[in-house]
Formats: sequence, C-alpha cells, structure tokens
Amino acid sequence: MNNQVYINALACISPQDTLNAEQFLQSSEFVSGSPMRSIEPTYKEHIDRRYLRRMGRMVRMGVAAATKALADADIKNPDAILVGTGMGCLEDTEKFLRAIYESDENIASPNQFIQSTHNNVAAQIALMLGCYNYNFTYVHRGFSFESAMLDAILHVQEAGENKTDILVGACDELTDMYLEVTSKLNIWKSKVPRHSLKYNMGIKSEQGEGAAFFAVSNQRSQNTIASLDALRMVYKPQSSARLTDEIDHFLARQSLTLDDIDLVLLGYDGGGQKGDVYDEVVNSVFDGKNQAVYKHLCGEYKTAGAFATWLSCEMIRQQHVPEFVKWNAFEIDTIRRVLIFNNYNSANFVLSLLSHV
Amino acid sequence: MSTMEETIEKLKVQIIEQLNLEDVTPDEIDADAPLFDSDLGLDSIDALEIIVMLEREYGLKIQSKEEGQKIFYSLKTMAEFVTEKIA
Repeated sequence: MNNQVYINALACISPQDTLNAEQFLQSSEFVSGSPMRSIEPTYKEHIDRRYLRRMGRMVRMGVAAATKALADADIKNPDAILVGTGMGCLEDTEKFLRAIYESDENIASPNQFIQSTHNNVAAQIALMLGCYNYNFTYVHRGFSFESAMLDAILHVQEAGENKTDILVGACDELTDMYLEVTSKLNIWKSKVPRHSLKYNMGIKSEQGEGAAFFAVSNQRSQNTIASLDALRMVYKPQSSARLTDEIDHFLARQSLTLDDIDLVLLGYDGGGQKGDVYDEVVNSVFDGKNQAVYKHLCGEYKTAGAFATWLSCEMIRQQHVPEFVKWNAFEIDTIRRVLIFNNYNSANFVLSLLSHV
Repeated sequence: MSTMEETIEKLKVQIIEQLNLEDVTPDEIDADAPLFDSDLGLDSIDALEIIVMLEREYGLKIQSKEEGQKIFYSLKTMAEFVTEKIA
C-alpha cells in the first residue's frame, strides 16, 4: 500500500463490555453465554430519539458504535460510510414479512420495509449526519466486513495527499427466529465435536452478534491507535499448502517474516476445525508463535472479523494481552504487530496485519 | 365520555404504538394541535404509517393527498374522519 491506513478511533458493542475497552481488557473475567447476545448501552445517550424510535436492535448497535467512533475521531462528515453485514437487519425483516403474511399480502408498513433493508445502518448514519458522500454496504457473507474495509483501503489509496476520513464497520444481530431456523441446519457448535484444547480450557464459541466501527484515515491524528498494513481474503483454499503459500506471500509483500509478528489472533470458533485446513495451517505455520483467540468473547457470526480487528487495535493501544484470550502461554513486553488469521465456516479465510504506530 | 372523545383517546394510543413514540404518553398529545410540524417530530414516513394504521384498524382509505392533509391536520380532525366513516 502507498498511503498508510490509520485507525484513529473505534468503538464496539458486543457480548462483552467493550464500550469500556480499557476496563474490559484489564479485567480477568469475560462474559459467557449461549447464544452470545450483546450488552447494549442506553441508546438515548448515543442516538437522537427522533431516529431511535424507528430503529431495530442491529441498527441501534451499529449506529451507536459508529456515532462513538466518529465522535472520538472528531469527524462530522466522513468522506465515505462503509458497512459490512452478513445477514442485514434480521429483526425488521422478520417483522416486515410477518406483517405481510398476517395481512394476506395486503398491508405492509413502510417503516418496516425501510428498516429491513440491508443498507439501513449506513443510511441511518448518513441521515443523522446529513452526509451525502459515498455510502456503501457489503453483504458478502463471511467477507462482508473485510470487503467494506478493502473499500476503505482503496479510498485511502486514491486520496493521495488529500486528507480523507472514512467510517467503516460491521454489524450483525441474532434473533430468535434466526436461531430457530439455523438450529435445524445442524451448523452450530453443539452438533459437532469441539476442539479438545478449547473444550479443556472451557472456551467454546456460540452464535454471536455485535457491531464494531472504525474511523480510518490517510493521516495520523494525536489519537491514532494502529495502522492497517495489509488485508487479504482467501476463499475456500484447496489445501493447507495453498493457504500456507498465501500467508508466506502476504508477509513477503510487507517485507516481513513470522519473526516480525508479535501476536497471532486466531479465528477458531470452538467447533469443527480440528484437523481441517485451518487447524493444519495454524499448527504448522504458527507453531511456537504467541497465539490468542477471540470467538469465545463475541460468538461466531459472519462479521466477527470486525470484533477481531477491534480487539487487536485495543491490545496494541493498551499494549496488553488479557489472559483470557491467550491460546498458549506467553508473556509479551511490546506489541508492535498483530496478525489476524480469521476463518468463517472453513470457507472464508482472512489475513489482516495491524501495527503499532 | 363522548364517542368523539373516546375515538381521540383510542387514536392517541394507536398512533403512539404504530409510530413507536417512545417517552410520549397520550396525555402529552394535544388533540387540537397540528399533528405534523409539532414537538412530536413526525414526518412523511409517519404519515404513511398512519395511513396503513387507519386501513388496518378501521378499513378506511385516504383517497387523495388533499384529503389526507385535511384529515391529518390534527388528532381531532382525524377522529372526526374516523367517527363519520364508521358511524
């Protein structure tokens, strides 16, 4: 990348108390649950009640996190608003479809239709700000957040020397109906053998949800937290060798080796990865590295990578790795670079490199 | 309580529910005051929501924009419309 991509502010709403990031990372405990539902703030403190009354849960989570990130970065009118969501506004979609069904396809609420659209979070943020700039929502399953972030990177590259401020983030929500439907598909963790190490550690993932937003820019601020140095998505690699090659090339393009990586944040979901391509690569490539996991904190969902990015940034900012994320035993003095090696459903693999600046 | 007053009170509750007017109680809505351009902060989407609510709850349809503007002027004008049509 030519321009550096600086992360100048961030905010996260998740099943943990992540709006109080410092307190959360320094504590020795985390919240468990099944499923993992977000700890939601008092939204009136973040969102004008005129807009709040129409918003469903996911929109509230997303807009509140975005509003905090913008406020912390002191951005009034971002040059782009980019959102990733794997499933969109499920709660409002369910309401809308139920209303159509119950009225025998005669009467549908306009607000429920508007709120059900997948790009509603980005739209609501723009409405609240009066922002007419580039506005895009990516719904690319396990690559939704990363696609939005890639768009942000491209914006930063194209900006040249002109200052550009981008709001980028992701959100997804759990609903009872979603849980009911997906439970019939036998895709969740209770149906497959859990990774033995995680099981022994008492760490396992469940279905989760959350929202994380980032103010990124081509220019540093006094509060810059980290820089995003590289991002790579790999879809269904045929073999562990192919995935290993991707990692080698990814690091080589940054003129780095594994020795330059201080911490690897892994996307084990506590489910069926034992012995698969992902597990193979972790055990071969990252053997002996400082490893951490995160999905026991936020659960598994299509945009969990946004939580991983938030957590990595906070660990870099606070120069602290909580004990409850450590996958192996290690002590670390300085966190210069964190490599996120994520995985969704053994199909979407992501490499993301964050550095201390 | 007269039929008109009963209809006004019923409409207040229905509008608060339909528009999800958090923190607003029926007593806070002045039946004679303009419904839009008021402290309630209603807009065109809310007008559509009220149209849907009138059709669903009372089987009433607004025939034109001009008629809608008169009917939706206040809660009282809306109650008059409902009372007249369902009488």
